[in-house]
Amino acid sequence: MSEIDTSKSPMTPEQQKAYQARQKQRAVIMAGILIFLVILFYLITFVKIGSSL
Amino acid sequence: MTSISTSSEDGLQNANIGTASAADLFALTKPRVMTLVIFTALCGLLAAPMSIHPILGFTAILAISLGAGASAALNQWYESDIDGVMKRTRNRPLPAGRMDRETALHFGVGLSFFSVILMGIATNWLSAALLAFSIFFYAVVYTIWLKRSTPQNIVIGGAAGAIPPVIGWAAVTGDVTLMPILLFAIIFFWTPPHFWALALFVNSDYSKAGVPMMPVVAGRQSTRRQIFGYSIILAATAIAPFALGMTGIIYGLSAIILSGIFCLLSARVGFSKTEEPSEMGAEKRLFGFSIFYLFALFGALVADRVILA
Repeated sequence: MSEIDTSKSPMTPEQQKAYQARQKQRAVIMAGILIFLVILFYLITFVKIGSSL
Repeated sequence: MTSISTSSEDGLQNANIGTASAADLFALTKPRVMTLVIFTALCGLLAAPMSIHPILGFTAILAISLGAGASAALNQWYESDIDGVMKRTRNRPLPAGRMDRETALHFGVGLSFFSVILMGIATNWLSAALLAFSIFFYAVVYTIWLKRSTPQNIVIGGAAGAIPPVIGWAAVTGDVTLMPILLFAIIFFWTPPHFWALALFVNSDYSKAGVPMMPVVAGRQSTRRQIFGYSIILAATAIAPFALGMTGIIYGLSAIILSGIFCLLSARVGFSKTEEPSEMGAEKRLFGFSIFYLFALFGALVADRVILA
């Protein structure tokens, strides 16, 4: 993964670190939400198919 | 005096705006307001005369919560200017500069579509249509149109907040009968006394923001009289399900006692002449009790259904 070139970025190294930490936090939460939705849609399908049998 | 920001300050702002934190996105959904929406929707779902599979019931409540969160995000996207003026809302993600408006708009629109589709897939398309209507009503009719143009803003806009129990009911039964309409009416007539009691003692903030809340436009005395008037209508509406034989004695007694206290507190507000917000004890008591009133009334409805069934 390539790092942001700090010489061209308006951010200081500390700000860049905070920015990347926020990006990472959002990515982790998004992954958790996606896993939750996969399970939820699986269960919804299961219930719907079950009730139509 | 014009201040010129340094590149470092610009960088910090860009860093903040470029990636809004998950906590700020969550704050955009007004989680505290959402609790009341979730509760009333759940009560509508549990009070329905049929049952729903727990997974589908959970998904319905999740979809209603996401829809409420989407409405709140769209509300904050549009109102970031007045939120920045009021002390109560100044620290929200947009006026505080922790998020840009485009992010809030995309988040609100995306969440709106997702919540409606989720509701339609999990339950039925009537409840999905009702959810879509409530989001549209809150974001467009209330936030964009009514809030800044008429002192009746929260009376008509209150309809959006009154729909959740109807959606919960429709998610189970697939239809809308008189009972969910009465539940809608209870929240609809509860909203003016609840919000105007708050607006009476935070009046100065709404004036500063240029929002035509009733106390700002019609004056405090007129607002107090209207609070009392709406409380009488609320009491009649709250007792109606019992009077019409749709509920049992648990709900009936609760509705009579709670509505009696509500009317008594509203009467004290109606007779109050205080102009100083710090001395508005009657208004603060009514505002506090109004929150308890709604939770207790809907709780009694569910208890009535569960115990007497």
